[in-house]
Parts: sequence; C-alpha cells; structure tokens
Amino acid sequence: MAETLKDSPIRAVQVEALVVMKIIKHSSQTFPTTATGSLVGMEVNGTLQITNTFPFPTVEVPATDGHQQESPSSLAAAAPRAKANVAYQNEMIKFLREVNVDANNVGWYTSTSMGNFVNVNTIENQFFYQKEMNERTVALVHDVSRSSQGSLSLRAFRLSPAFMTAYKEGKFTTESLQKSGLRYQEILVELPLTIHNSHLLTSLLHQLPSDVPKEELAFPSNLAALQQDPNTPQPPLYPNFDSLDLSIDPFLEKTCDLLLESIENHHTELNNHQYYQRSLGREQAKITAWQQKRKAENAARVAAKQTPLPEDEWQRLFKLPQEPSRLEVLLNSRQVEQYARQVDGFTASVSTKMFAVKSNLLPGE
Amino acid sequence: MADTDSFLHLARPLGPAPIGAQPSTAPLSVVIQPQAIFSILDHSLRRPADQERVIGTLLGTRTEDGTEVEIRNCYAVPHTETAEQVEVDMDYQKQMLALHLRANPREVLVGWYATSADLNTFSALIQNFYGQQGDGTWPHPAVHLTVSTVPGKDIEARTYISAPIGVTAERAADSCLFIPVPYEIKYGEAEKSGLELISGAKDREDRTQVILTDIESLERAIQQVLDMLERVSNYVNNVLDEEATPSSALGQFLMNALSLAPKVDPADIERDFNNHIQDVLVVSYLANTIRTQIDLSNRLATAALTMGTGDVITGTTGGGGEGGQKGGQDRRQNARRGGQQRSNEQ
Repeated sequence: MAETLKDSPIRAVQVEALVVMKIIKHSSQTFPTTATGSLVGMEVNGTLQITNTFPFPTVEVPATDGHQQESPSSLAAAAPRAKANVAYQNEMIKFLREVNVDANNVGWYTSTSMGNFVNVNTIENQFFYQKEMNERTVALVHDVSRSSQGSLSLRAFRLSPAFMTAYKEGKFTTESLQKSGLRYQEILVELPLTIHNSHLLTSLLHQLPSDVPKEELAFPSNLAALQQDPNTPQPPLYPNFDSLDLSIDPFLEKTCDLLLESIENHHTELNNHQYYQRSLGREQAKITAWQQKRKAENAARVAAKQTPLPEDEWQRLFKLPQEPSRLEVLLNSRQVEQYARQVDGFTASVSTKMFAVKSNLLPGE
Repeated sequence: MADTDSFLHLARPLGPAPIGAQPSTAPLSVVIQPQAIFSILDHSLRRPADQERVIGTLLGTRTEDGTEVEIRNCYAVPHTETAEQVEVDMDYQKQMLALHLRANPREVLVGWYATSADLNTFSALIQNFYGQQGDGTWPHPAVHLTVSTVPGKDIEARTYISAPIGVTAERAADSCLFIPVPYEIKYGEAEKSGLELISGAKDREDRTQVILTDIESLERAIQQVLDMLERVSNYVNNVLDEEATPSSALGQFLMNALSLAPKVDPADIERDFNNHIQDVLVVSYLANTIRTQIDLSNRLATAALTMGTGDVITGTTGGGGEGGQKGGQDRRQNARRGGQQRSNEQ
C-alpha cells in the first residue's frame, strides 16, 4: 500500500466541512437510492483539497421507453460518466468560477449502504475520471447506514496504476493476471482523509449549540422547574452519545445478507469459469483427435506418394471458447474483504459495549 | 445562535402597491439547515477583496400555507456595489437557479442572503427583486437572511421578510420595510455524525480532524460520560459532607435517573449476553473465513503452477477452478449453517 501511494500524484485528501455536509444532505435525502455528485477543489503539494461539491441532476425514469427499464439507483450510479452530466458539470464549474470557487474538477462522490460500493459502476466511474479528466481525481464514498449508527463514514479511493493499465486493455484473463500479478487487494487505493474547517466555521461551531452559562445558576425549586429550565445545556455535538447505543441485530442481519449475496456472485462466476473449462477441454480433445486423424491420413498419403494435406487447418475449423473475464471475481473478492473489515470494526466496538452493559447490570461478578 | 429574540407581529398599514400584486406579509418561521450556513460562510471567505458583503440565493421548501420555510441550500450570486448603485448579475442568478433545480427539483426559491448584518437601500432593492412577480417568490414573501461575518465577533444570523412601503409607486420600488422573523437552526439525524466530526476539530490549532473509527469515537464518548458521572458524584459527595448546598429537585432528578436501571434476573442477563455476543462473534468469524476462502480461491486460480510437462495454463486454471469451486460450496454450507445457528440462538 505504501508503495502504491508513492507512485500516486496525490498522497492525502483534505475535505472542507462544507463538502461533508453537502454530501451528507444529498445522500440522506435520496437514500436508499444512490446519490452521486461532482467535487471541485485543487491540489496543493500532494494534498488534494476538496472545497466544494454539487450533486448531479436527478434522472427522471421515463415511463414508456423503448429501452430497458433501469432503476433510478443504477442510473444515478452511472451518472458521473454520463455525457449529459459532463456538460452539466462543465457548466456548473464555469458558474462557480465567477464566485471564486476553486474551479477544478477533482473527482466525484457516491453514497452507499453498508460498504456495498465495490462494483463495476464505481470502477468505471473512477476509471473514466482518471482517464478522461486528469490523474488527480478521487472518489469519495459516504456510507449512509454506517454514519447513522454514530461515527461518520467517509472514505477516499483511487484506482491503482496497475489496475488502470489492466482495465485499459480490458483483459482480465488468468494469463494476464498472472503476468501483471494484479491482486484484488490492489484494485483500489485508499487515501488518508482529513476534515478541515475555516476560521469562520470554527467560530460558528463554538456557538453551536450555545455555551453553558458562565455564571453560577440558582438551584431549581422543584423537579418540574429543573426539567423546563431553559439553561439546560443541549447535548454537545462532539462526542456523539449515539455511538453508545447498543443495537446489534440490524447490522448483523444486513451484513449476513450482503455476504450471502457476495458468495452467490462468486459461485456464479466460478460456474461460468467451470463451464469455460469444460468447453475448452472438449474443444481441445476434438482438436487432438482431428490432428491425429490428419496425421494418419498424411502418413497414408505419403505412403501412396501423394502430397500431404496441411496440418494447421484446425485453426480454421475449430474455435476455442473465450475465457470469461475475471474482473467480476476480483471486485467481488475486494467487496468481501471490505465487509470482513467492517464486521471486525463493528465487533470490536460492540463487544466492548456489551461487556460494559453486562458488568453494569451484574456488578461484582 | 447568539441570542434568541421574541417576536410579536402587528398588523400595519401597507404601502401603495398595484392591486392584486400584494405579496403576503403573514408571519412565518424559518428553519435553517447547517449546510446552508456553512455555504454562506464559505462564500464570505471567497469574496473579492474590495467587497464588503456578498449575496446569494436561498433555496429550500415552503409548507403549503407558506407559514414555515426551510432553507436547505444556497448558492452565491456575483454582484457589485458602489456608493451610488448596485448591480446583481440577474442572468447568472437565473441560470444557476435552473442548474440547481435540475439536481434538486423539490427545492424552490425562497429568498436571498447577505454576509453583513446591515440593511440599507440596496438591501431593499434586492429584496424587491427577489420578491417580485415572475422570477421571484411572489405571492410568498422573500426571506432575507443576514449572517454577520465580522472577525473577532460572534456570527449572528437574522431573518427578515418585507412589506412594501413608500409614498409613491416609484419610491416603493427601492424601499421596503424589513420585518424580523424567528428562525431556528436544525440538523437531522443524518447530519449529526458529520457535525460531530466537524466540531471535533473546533478546539484544534490546525482546524483539521481525521476520520475516527468506531472504536475511537466510542472511547471518546465513554470518556465524556465518565467525566460527567465524576462531576455528579463529586457534587453528591460534597452535599453529604455538607460542603455544597443541597437541592431536593436535583436529588429527585438523580433518583429518577437511577431508577431507570432495569431490574432483571442475573441468569437472564447472563443468557442474553451470551447469545448476543455469540451472534456477533460468529458473524465476524464467518466473514473472515469467507474472506480467506475467497482469497485462497483467487490465488489458486491465478497461481503459476507447473503440472509436470503439460500445458501450464490449462493445468492451473483447471485445478484452481475446481479448488475454488469446492471451497465455494463449503463456504455456502458454512454460511447457511451459520445462519441457522444464528436464528436458533435468537
């Protein structure tokens, strides 16, 4: 990972608080549909500063269309590389330049649920950005479901150079993978992400929620007065006590579902591959049989003093089956890895909370 | 934010305005979402060096009767202001509005903001522009939000609507009566996690904050709770030692809080605890097993094994495919079993 980071033109990502809020707003508004948008900012000494963002236009699903019906989610997921949106993006950036916003496109963002984002869409979008726009682009992934459980989940990804070359060629056969040594862990490179506030914002945050009154307060006369006291401080924004909440089942249930889905995918891909193996074997057996027949024929012809028939005709007669792409398998593996990491993190915090609750309810054990 | 004012709306005489074009001046309340304020502050930082204040358009939603306005979004509009005249790029405003509406079709134009607390003649002019018929917010009143951004002072926000005023129709165009309306800054559940992280950086010198993992934020929250418990128990101890003034209301409150602890049988707790912790661990274990299996399957599929003198590629892919296949089936069974185990436990 450290090595791949060195090759990459950017080493870290710094996101303005404004961008974080805008992404959260857009993602939670459209949830569970995927939300996508564009990021603008600039690169300073290897750090990509993302200073503003805007969402892509919502796509109306045409009711009666000759084309295949697509869900709004998949349309939105494909939005960053759609032609209409490239135009929209350019126009928006042109306008933003007039009000002194950093007018460089630096990538795109997408919302996801439970880390379910490693798929062909993400890869294609990021490939499009890294290839068409420029090298210095990132994909920000905001996980709506995980963020609602406490801590914010926002991550920055890029495609690794090795994967870029492989994807450009469009070949993901066993042979090419052996040659390039590309592994599923090396598809996406995660960049360290920090959040940055402006001075004005820091000033605002110190007022939000309002501070505890400085002077000594009088004691409330009774319980009702205490509960209605306007001086009761609002719970602070930080730290967030929601992360103390102990809800396990929804998370586990969803993770299991997603894992089963991944296994299903993996199984399908393996079946495809096996089918390929079998048909390849059959074809090769046929070719060998044909070659032997031709050899025997030629031997007979030589014995009969005739000109031998060409022996490489089989290339015209038989067609070897195409090897299925291993890209899907690679992405699926990366996705499973992502789930496993996620579960590890969850287990760590949940078991802590559970032991805390237990020793609280059963003191002295 | 700074201080909350109380409001009283009185009926008042209205200035001359064409009949039928009278915008409503009914009182309303305004809800501001934090990202709008963030955006305004960002714009204020990016203003041209020679400009005191900058303005922009507010977008949001309005309830059907128009008594409640929610400001959800905003964008900057370039304008120039001199002592004699003000110029707002109306073309820019129109095109930007169209672009924003394409992305958020549910949001409508609700008003405008300025990054200075002053109200002057130009404010009235711009206010009338935003409240006009056609492109403006008519028949609803345009909301004007001022956010003061004076360095070293608190950031103060004020919201206004306006009523026409002026002796003649010509004078009415560049004057209006600003009526303060109450507002609230509200954030939803989804924004909470973001705000938490953002405000985590507020006491830091470099104003930056790295993304926390679950366990880190848990640690901080627990630390905070422990501190608060410490404070309360200190107070109680002081009362017991007759060093602090006792308060029966506080005592009652603490008593109520303590009685919230559930009374359950230790055996039940033990059982529930064990079941749940096993759920968690089994899913974690399975997820990691699956990950390892898939990794193995991938490695087998692409490993450059040489099987005797035969065709290298065919040999390995065959082996890999089968290996992976077998692994796949095992895993499926594992997962199924895991699923059943889990459902049994629940």
